[in-house]
Amino acid sequence: MTGFLVKRFLQALVVLFLVSIIVFVLLHMLPGGPARAILGPKGTPQQIEQFNHQQGYDRSLPTQYFMYLKRLLTGDLGDSYKLNSPVFELLKQRLPKTLLLTVLSTALAVVIAIPLGLLQAVRRGKASDYALTGLAFLLYATPVFFLGLIMIILFAQVLPVFPAEAPQGESIGELLKEFSGLVLPVVTMAFGIVAMFSRYMRSAVLDNLTEEYVRTAMAKGQSSRRIMVRHVLRNALIPLATLLGLYLPTLFSGALVVESMFNYPGMGLLFWNAAQGSDFPVLLGVTLVVGIATVLGSLLTDVLYAVLDPRIRSVA
Amino acid sequence: MDDREDTGGPGGTADMTEGPSSGPPAPAGEPLLRIDDLRVDITSRERTVHALDGISLDLAAGEALGVVGESGCGKTMTALSVLGLLPPGGAVTGGRILFDGRDLAAASAPALQEVRGNTVGMVFQDPLTSLNPTMTIGAQVAEPLLLHREGIGRKEARARAEEMLRLVGMPQPSERMKAYPHQLSGGMRQRVAIAMALVCEPKLLIADEPTTALDVTTQHQILELIDSLRETLGMALILVTHDLGVIANRVDRVAVMYAGKVAEQSDVRGLFARPRHRYTEALFAALPERAAERGTELHTIAGLPPSLTVRPTGCRFAPRCLFATDACREREPELIDDEDAGAGHRFACFHPVPYGDAPEEQVVTPPPATATEPGEVLLELDALVKEFPLTGGPFARRRGTVSAVGGVSLGVRRGETFGLVGESGCGKTTLGRIVAGLEQPTAGSVRFDGRDLAGLSRAERRAHRRRIQLMFQDSTAAMDPRMRVGEILREPLVIQGVGTRADQERLTAGLLDAVGLPRGAVHRYPHEFSGGQRQRLGLARALTLSPDLVVADEPVSALDVSVQAQILNLMRELQHDRGLTYLFISHDLAVIRHLADTVGVMYLGKLVETGPAEQVYAHPLHPYTRGLLDTVNVPDPAVAAAGDREPLHGETPSAAKPPSGCRFRTRCPLAQDVCATTEPPVSTPNGAGHQVACHFPLAVPRLASTV
Repeated sequence: MTGFLVKRFLQALVVLFLVSIIVFVLLHMLPGGPARAILGPKGTPQQIEQFNHQQGYDRSLPTQYFMYLKRLLTGDLGDSYKLNSPVFELLKQRLPKTLLLTVLSTALAVVIAIPLGLLQAVRRGKASDYALTGLAFLLYATPVFFLGLIMIILFAQVLPVFPAEAPQGESIGELLKEFSGLVLPVVTMAFGIVAMFSRYMRSAVLDNLTEEYVRTAMAKGQSSRRIMVRHVLRNALIPLATLLGLYLPTLFSGALVVESMFNYPGMGLLFWNAAQGSDFPVLLGVTLVVGIATVLGSLLTDVLYAVLDPRIRSVA
Repeated sequence: MDDREDTGGPGGTADMTEGPSSGPPAPAGEPLLRIDDLRVDITSRERTVHALDGISLDLAAGEALGVVGESGCGKTMTALSVLGLLPPGGAVTGGRILFDGRDLAAASAPALQEVRGNTVGMVFQDPLTSLNPTMTIGAQVAEPLLLHREGIGRKEARARAEEMLRLVGMPQPSERMKAYPHQLSGGMRQRVAIAMALVCEPKLLIADEPTTALDVTTQHQILELIDSLRETLGMALILVTHDLGVIANRVDRVAVMYAGKVAEQSDVRGLFARPRHRYTEALFAALPERAAERGTELHTIAGLPPSLTVRPTGCRFAPRCLFATDACREREPELIDDEDAGAGHRFACFHPVPYGDAPEEQVVTPPPATATEPGEVLLELDALVKEFPLTGGPFARRRGTVSAVGGVSLGVRRGETFGLVGESGCGKTTLGRIVAGLEQPTAGSVRFDGRDLAGLSRAERRAHRRRIQLMFQDSTAAMDPRMRVGEILREPLVIQGVGTRADQERLTAGLLDAVGLPRGAVHRYPHEFSGGQRQRLGLARALTLSPDLVVADEPVSALDVSVQAQILNLMRELQHDRGLTYLFISHDLAVIRHLADTVGVMYLGKLVETGPAEQVYAHPLHPYTRGLLDTVNVPDPAVAAAGDREPLHGETPSAAKPPSGCRFRTRCPLAQDVCATTEPPVSTPNGAGHQVACHFPLAVPRLASTV
């Protein structure tokens, strides 16, 4: 088990190294280079040359990459052009908030989706299965922003139960203090995921129900309910673990819409604002973080796999 | 219909409790289990299959009943319906299943749950898929106790589970409690499944093909285990199998099923000595073990069992029966008592096998044996080695090697059938793949028709491919499901650029004639054919390029006995007509004996013995060969009772860590110190041509073997 994790961690490091190269290349693909991007169309050639020299952009690419990597390792991601603050500081401030949003909505989605998928599988072909499947498809097909708008109209305006704007606290503790403000963003984000997760859960349970070990479990004299909980559930969670890991980066982009919609002070909102103001260091910083999230997501998948499936554990 | 009005009669049950069964005999008229006119339909979207159509069976306490028949006859459905475990769409539409005085067919779900795993235990065919992969075996074995024994604690349940694992012969049961199914061998997994079924000490164990997925030696051990546990626990047994050898040796009474009905039932000796139903007779006659002698044709049963979507009129076997008359086609025969053997032997046939006739002799006269003239050596393997790397750990480090083939030398003569026999993992399939050019050997050479294959250039190797063709066990998996049969058969010709399209089509049509399929088959897809027909296609495809050598890897293992006989006959006939050479790979000693001229026995990557088939079977020189022959279940209760057999015990070691010296020494009754240090030399104590690799070859020729 430990050996397996060490192996996966080393592999993750290799991928992260590749991610840093991609981000570096993106930096150099900016139209007219970073100097033009910062100084704008009115920058004179002298200014551009001076800027490039200052930033080391006139050196050879490998040297530049080496410098970039060195700065990266010390946490220096450059400075925001607009916010007058190091990118690293901005990310340090915003990332935990986005994580909070992601974790809460994923947890909510999983808690709803697992029993829902089980129920759909058990009631397969019956009216309740069709109704729930229909609802799941409807939610799945609904864009997040539209879902969010409906939530705001329903629960902030028609029935003013929850505020339409997210809390603006500096720390996570402060955010949690105003929990009612978190409800709408979290629920909006979770609904989009529930649809997909419950769909996967349903088919995983159906696959497992045809397995012979289920028949063995029946031959022992267990009730269907007990078979579901004791035997099928764990086996059906294995494919869901893959989905969860692969979905992590997508969740971040989902956060982008939700955050800008509810004015939630997370990384998504930071990215949104940076994109509108061409704040490239911030954009690249966020890209790097999403890259890392992707890698960690697949690492998480493997760890979950090993926890859930003893066959994977012993191969490792 | 074949309702058994008199099942309760004292004569009906008294006879059935004969034999070596233990346990208290049931009082007359009170069998432990009575299946009475059971009807089961399986409904899917398109059709309804009448899987069981009036089955009546009785089982006394402590008795062992065998249910035997070919695939689709309803034997598994009978077993599953007892515990209400029918597949989706399956339902009991009539009849009763009385167990301990309670009708299980009409029982509620909680009532059935009370019986399942408690008073009736069940063991299934595939020990890997029938265990939960994510639960420890300890938890799985303890589970029935927690369900059925009120007030038993988790700790006590685990202690009892461990005791049960010890009882089923699991080594180090306390450590194994924490193991997961994938960490155990197939045989050990089946032991776990048995422990699970028996932990509540049921009155009845239902075993559905419990050893079909296992090797010969493991099969023997599992059947022995079930036998001894039956004795210890005094339980009754229903053993469902297609294998007549298994049935002959393990049960008191047998029911032969055909097309959803019981065709014949009898005590086991009576059935094998004097089958009365024409189907039973034909089934026995199709066994390679029963063939008059090697080299003769096997008796076959023409045609296929009827589809059960419509109830056939008349006897269900009539369309395939050589003795059918108009009466058979109009009326359905009922199960009647055998007039001489008494009520214990019943059959449903208007024209039963008359008394006193040896059953085989009178079906058809076998044609004369095909004489094979041994030619020059066509294929020669010299010290062939194949090792596979075993990788794992960080960055796929190489952690060891699996020695699949560990230095095999043999020669196959033109026109002969070389039978390669061994248990799974012995390297026989790898050897076949190397010969066919699908794998490159790690060391050693393959010479074909005098040329070393390693010396061939790329182009030469491609051209050479057409001279050696493969025939597979699973023809369904070996054919592209989206290609029509015509394309499948033509493809090798297209690849090798043989003839024009018209030539190719003419050749294909000729091949279909040769393998006994209609020419119209070219327009159909593989899935439209039955298993036997697909195997004919597999053979036709192998022959498309007129090869010299056909490597047939377990070509009949997935087939029913009657179809197996058809394919074996066909292979023999084509060999005769086309001068083919076969490398025939199989785990089935009887099939190899029937077809092969020369036999090679493999164990853990080594060829331990090779020689003319008659000699090897009659006077095995290697202890493994003899053990294997003694382990096989012979479809004859008289042989099994003879008792001078010394079956193999233990399990085959891992090929990643083969034992030093002689690889068989860990299981050999004759092993000495030298066997561990020195690899045994090849000797020929029984005359040239019969080679053995053993330090202590068996000196005394045994009397004629029984397989």
